[in-house]
Amino acid sequence: MSDRPSVCDQIEADLLASAIGEADAATTRHVGAHLDRCGSCRDEFRQYRVIDGAVVGLRSQSPPAGAVAIARERLEARLLDLRSRLLAYRIFPSPFGDILIARSEQGIVLIEYLERASLGASRLSRVGGVEAVEDGEEVEALYRELRDYIEGRTTRLQWPVDLRFVRSDFHRTVLQATAAIPYGAVISYSGLAREVGRPRAVRAVAQALRWNPLPIIVPCHRVIGASGALTGYAGGETTRKQKLLTVEGVPVIKARRDFEIARDAMYIRLPDDTEYCLPSCSSVVRLSGTHAGCLLFGSRERAEAAGLAPCTTCRPDLHPLPLRRGAMPPSDGPRGRAPGFSRSE
Amino acid sequence: MSEHHAEIYRYLLRATGRASDADDLSQETFLRAFRAHRSLPPHANVRAWLFTIATNLSRNYYRAQSRRRLAYAAVSVTLTETDGAGPDRMTISRETGARIEAVVSRLPLKQRLAFIQRKIHGLDYDAIGASLKCSADSARAHVFQALRKIRQSLETDEPSGEEPRT
Repeated sequence: MSDRPSVCDQIEADLLASAIGEADAATTRHVGAHLDRCGSCRDEFRQYRVIDGAVVGLRSQSPPAGAVAIARERLEARLLDLRSRLLAYRIFPSPFGDILIARSEQGIVLIEYLERASLGASRLSRVGGVEAVEDGEEVEALYRELRDYIEGRTTRLQWPVDLRFVRSDFHRTVLQATAAIPYGAVISYSGLAREVGRPRAVRAVAQALRWNPLPIIVPCHRVIGASGALTGYAGGETTRKQKLLTVEGVPVIKARRDFEIARDAMYIRLPDDTEYCLPSCSSVVRLSGTHAGCLLFGSRERAEAAGLAPCTTCRPDLHPLPLRRGAMPPSDGPRGRAPGFSRSE
Repeated sequence: MSEHHAEIYRYLLRATGRASDADDLSQETFLRAFRAHRSLPPHANVRAWLFTIATNLSRNYYRAQSRRRLAYAAVSVTLTETDGAGPDRMTISRETGARIEAVVSRLPLKQRLAFIQRKIHGLDYDAIGASLKCSADSARAHVFQALRKIRQSLETDEPSGEEPRT
């Protein structure tokens, strides 16, 4: 190129561009005018045209169909495997501390209170056979629903769940029975043990709830000690339990050492009954103080929402319980807002 | 997403020159894409994004291979004609095409990847620049440089008759 006229050097890039059809009209005209005068550039232009034409030919070539099909098949198999392992998660701040929500393609797989807002603090980083990826909007929508639930704006979470982190069939049975405890009701660990047909396995039941991978959705906060004390929840955090129960209208009082429910301010459903009673009902008094196996409701509305009718003997519909003084207010806000999540995200 | 598989495979076959590598890297491309697609903005150009992933993987691949120099001829890229261009045109440009492939396979990596993306797959310079982490202008410069080298080497190579002599 060294001994050719400088005008040819200057026009070289434009010449290339117009030969491969990437120049605008003015440039193409300008190049055309030069080509009329310059034979060597004309040759160069033609060579680029030939190359461009040959490259168009290359476009229509493809690898042997078999190789692509094999690669495709292997890919499909690996994608299938990845899809089964992939869990999308996000961590959200809340007054309960940081909460991680994770879902698989089947449903919600984990809700976890974290010590700190990092995946490393989560079970997800320790279990095998899964791959956690931070998610965008899907989990965000779940979080908004969860927040509505925690703040008492909705009483139902109808999420598909994926129970892969449940440790055993027994745990699964316990969690299923827990999921059946109605909103606004509580039962004791021993009552739940009776529900699952293992009345003596109280500790095992408590253990199953301790490993509940889906707290809030599977409402283990509705399971309390036989004494009425809230007892351990998610690592001893009875404050969370108290907040969740308070939102549901369960009267919780601050006792000497811990929170406990105000049992004498609650309606009672005897085991397998279809009615709810006052604590003073003769059929309740006959149990001589033990409420094992009974469901306790914070309000008549909740009992009736669970499909129960007022007892025809004690008539809680005619003699409703007075609102207990000293019970935690059902909310801490002027408009019935529960101790809530920050709205600024 | 997987409707682009064959094209990405084709791209990687030219980029790496080996069917086994194209197979591995195309799978890796789609597995990565599958992990990350949730974070894509709603109207993202998925095809260009896949090319970017494949390009990154190719470059990593070459970085990893840099110690043992890979010498391969374009003929190892076992491409066959499928359809499209008529036979007349094909015979004219088939041999030129094979020689172009040979030159392309010896181009510096960025030029090669830019050239293949632009001239074989028709991506625009913005997308190519994004995949190579350079500007659209630089991407264009890579493609032009590739074309210059192809022309020069066709000129100096043993001419096989069907191209115009200078």
